[in-house]
Amino acid sequence: MNDVGRTAFAASVLPHLDAAYNLARWLVRDGHDAQDVVQDALVRALRHFDGFRGGDARPWLLAIVRNAAWAWLGARRPGDVDVPDDELDAALADGAPPGDPETLAIRRAERLEIDAAIAALPIAFREAVVLRELEEMSYRDIARITGVPIGTVMSRLSRGRHLLAAALRPTASRSPA
Amino acid sequence: MNDDDLWLDALLDDELDAAASLALQRRLAAEPALQRRFDERRALREAVRAQATRHAAPDALRARLTQMLPPSASERVAPSSRASDARGSMTARARLARLARPWAAALAGAGVATLCTLLAVDPGALGWRRGETIASQQTAEASEAVSAHTRALLVERPIEVASSDQHTVRPWLSARLNFVPPVVDLAPQGYPLLGARRDVLSGETAAALVYRHGAHVISVFVKPAGADAAEATRVVRGFNVIERTQGGLAFCFVSDANPRELQALADLVTPLAGK
Repeated sequence: MNDVGRTAFAASVLPHLDAAYNLARWLVRDGHDAQDVVQDALVRALRHFDGFRGGDARPWLLAIVRNAAWAWLGARRPGDVDVPDDELDAALADGAPPGDPETLAIRRAERLEIDAAIAALPIAFREAVVLRELEEMSYRDIARITGVPIGTVMSRLSRGRHLLAAALRPTASRSPA
Repeated sequence: MNDDDLWLDALLDDELDAAASLALQRRLAAEPALQRRFDERRALREAVRAQATRHAAPDALRARLTQMLPPSASERVAPSSRASDARGSMTARARLARLARPWAAALAGAGVATLCTLLAVDPGALGWRRGETIASQQTAEASEAVSAHTRALLVERPIEVASSDQHTVRPWLSARLNFVPPVVDLAPQGYPLLGARRDVLSGETAAALVYRHGAHVISVFVKPAGADAAEATRVVRGFNVIERTQGGLAFCFVSDANPRELQALADLVTPLAGK
């Protein structure tokens, strides 16, 4: 790619560098590793920039970052990405039952607690929550980025939120999971 | 967690169309327990959005990227303002984008428009009849099929290929699946075909055919059969479910239409399996 192409690439993609790093950081859960992932992703993005037909570069870039993060984890920490569905279901079943209004308790939760609760989510739920709550992507964009149907995005997001709520409830009803 | 949570989340995320949103808000007004759950969901979201760390790209990463890019481009790799909360502008931009999102786009497609009309006319079609205490014998599979059916009613595109023409729908599905479900328009029998989509049941890709019968939407899930299972008829969360295996295919019919009407459709569709 020539300098003109690289300049166009920089103009489209670099405004989203923080979002790219944030997603990678939440997926691999390490700052240094996240930098490697983002660099990998940008090399891939640069190579495939010809295939980007304009429009919103953010979901396009985040899809590449997401795939780079999963590939990185698959190669180095396969346990992080190899979570069978029934294990996810079990994680959910361990949560506290819904219905108790714990509004105030949750509102008072500290930044560290919330970060820890998000970091503890299984990766499929974590990426849905991060893309929705921190990057404010639509269901449709999340479906594109994570490569699953919209219905799956909805159930993952819902389960992720359910697990977060269970983790952030006061200790009395907090589950060991 | 149950399907209500999916609905509450979709409302919270501004992903429901106007009719479904209105129907759910009416239901919230009538059900304090549901309203409390919604409030909890909203509080959780506010806490996460306000507190969770948004990691800004470190300067070291920016420095590495400048080596990949030409000087004119790398000037754009400016230091981040994100560390101090730069998300005010981001949020405002996201809000503007949301305002600009045309409602028409959400309603595009005749099949979708039909479903939206049904939602507006008949909130009961969503399975929101209150006070339901139907003793239900459930299998995970039937429950999953009901979830898929209700999810499909609330997303923007319950149908990926909207057509009553079986000669359009069938090739569309066979190009995307490794089996061929029977596809037939049954408008003359009172079950017009609205279209189809792919869905995932128990981790396997299934064809979902969508029919209409009167004011009811019927989802027909089809996938290759594992073992031959006996026919089962159930009520799951207010939806009637008929499971049947025929011609090497497992069928699951889901709707709030009455069991007899659902049975009639099953009797029309399943004999076509494998033909």
